[in-house]
Amino acid sequence: MAQSDSKLAGVERAGASGNGRSFWGRLLTSDLYQAVSAVLFKTQRRRFWLLASFPLFWVVFAHLGPILRMFWISFLDSYPPTAGTVPQLTLANWGKFFEDAIFVMPYFRTLGFAFVLTLSTLILTYPVAYFLAKHVRRNRQMLFLLILLIPFWVGEIVRTYAIMILLGNNGAVNLILKFLGLIDRPIPFMYTSFSLGIGIIYLTSLYMLLPLYSALEKIPNTYLEAAADLGAGSWTRFWRVTLPLSKEGIASGCTLVFLISTGYYATPVLLGGPSTTVFAETIAGFFHVAGDQWPVGAAFASIMLITTLTAAAIFLKIMGRSGKGMME
Amino acid sequence: MTRHTRILMSVIYWAFIVYLFVPLVLMVMMGFKDSKFIGFPIRGWTLEWYTGIFQDAEILGVFGYSMAIAIASTVLSLSIGTWVACFLGPHKFRGKLIVFALTCLPAVVPGIISAISLRIFARGLEIEPGMLAIILGHTVHNVPFVALVVMARLSTLPPSHIEAARDLGADAIVAFFRVTLPYLVPALVGAGVFCMLLSFDDFVRSFFLGSYEPTLPVLIFAMLRSGMSPEINAISAVVLVLTAILGLWAERSMRRLNKGS
Repeated sequence: MAQSDSKLAGVERAGASGNGRSFWGRLLTSDLYQAVSAVLFKTQRRRFWLLASFPLFWVVFAHLGPILRMFWISFLDSYPPTAGTVPQLTLANWGKFFEDAIFVMPYFRTLGFAFVLTLSTLILTYPVAYFLAKHVRRNRQMLFLLILLIPFWVGEIVRTYAIMILLGNNGAVNLILKFLGLIDRPIPFMYTSFSLGIGIIYLTSLYMLLPLYSALEKIPNTYLEAAADLGAGSWTRFWRVTLPLSKEGIASGCTLVFLISTGYYATPVLLGGPSTTVFAETIAGFFHVAGDQWPVGAAFASIMLITTLTAAAIFLKIMGRSGKGMME
Repeated sequence: MTRHTRILMSVIYWAFIVYLFVPLVLMVMMGFKDSKFIGFPIRGWTLEWYTGIFQDAEILGVFGYSMAIAIASTVLSLSIGTWVACFLGPHKFRGKLIVFALTCLPAVVPGIISAISLRIFARGLEIEPGMLAIILGHTVHNVPFVALVVMARLSTLPPSHIEAARDLGADAIVAFFRVTLPYLVPALVGAGVFCMLLSFDDFVRSFFLGSYEPTLPVLIFAMLRSGMSPEINAISAVVLVLTAILGLWAERSMRRLNKGS
């Protein structure tokens, strides 16, 4: 009898864990929980705001907050505040930018670099993406993308160092050129805009390749065949069919590469030289000295942020896209 | 497509692969060089540099520090990102586009500006430069990625699952923990590893938010500024291998996710 009782209890327990008295079941039926949730989830509206409160707080406070704070600091005459003084509002930090070529030059150089590098990355990776999407077998494509992601995951510093080894005076490129008898003395690639360009393309090319690939891969082969049947040559097919249909990929790839390449700091420090000082280095300079240059740094960073985001927005507008789907 | 352009394209394609991998291969090789001098040709080989870094207490300490930061910021990013996604994904409300844009904001702000603004913000909140500041900075940067991945996964969850749970007596919270969360697991694994990698490899935020105690990329940067050495190669190579393993594993779990839905 006792045995069958415990057996029954066992069955009941096993059943209960499925629908009632598991941890969650106990939680749901406990008085305290019911009392609390009755208050919290009383109305649909209250539930919505409960769910919304933290995400809204987070994106406004933590995502927008630092940017707004930076803008605010850029209008103060001193920051971090020193004891006993009240910071005054001023426009001098923003004005400083226009006063000296030492500041203006890196700014335009950065934008010029970013523009040229974005274009070169596009030209370099387009054939790669096209070949991958149209001429490589399907399962091979996946494999290729997978191995492609390995260098992509490795950080900025490690990859920059890899480029230093490649291009140094005793680097692999100089060794090969010397071996081939093309040069007697090593070519000084390093600390020039060439080494910086190679490095940044190395870092950013995948941000271009992936959007291009996914756009090209979607173009049905039948479109190209139809164009060919109607007498279009290979160039016409490219200009009239492939290129327009890959516009989305070009737009998001270029935007990403542009924004990312303006933001590099360590790479220009390590690969560039005095003649390639970029704006990121200028900005960083204000944060290395004792605190009182922060407002100027903040103003310069604001100038750069406004410029890059505006440029990206204009570009996306020209390409006929809203910024909405950019992250996909 | 003429034959010539096709050949040309395949040449560019293979050249690109070489361009991506050769620098990394050379870097790993140079770590085996039996000389303190970085450069080709390599005449003698040694394991000394690789074994050396595993006996160097300072480097191991820095590695642990970076790892701790990566794990802490990943846990935070996953929790916050999932919450944001669960709010933003299924609900329709006025101003949703603005909230979505704000969610993505940290991912599109150029690196240096992100680092500078976070540095200023941390100062305003009186968070000292150091571990906490770096963890929070990485979290802000990683939340958009988590939110996007989780939202994508969430959009494939059939509403009937939640309705069934509700019919069986679960309230919103229990339904989330027993239905939604298990469904999100593959996305969370993928996003989590991605966050770990972003945090572990991040330089610019760690550099500006850190104190004198460096993370691994900051240490490599500091070492590089005082000159190249095979030791740096060995450290970088270890980072490379770890990153590749973690990344490939995450990619595989993400791929299974996409197939499953």
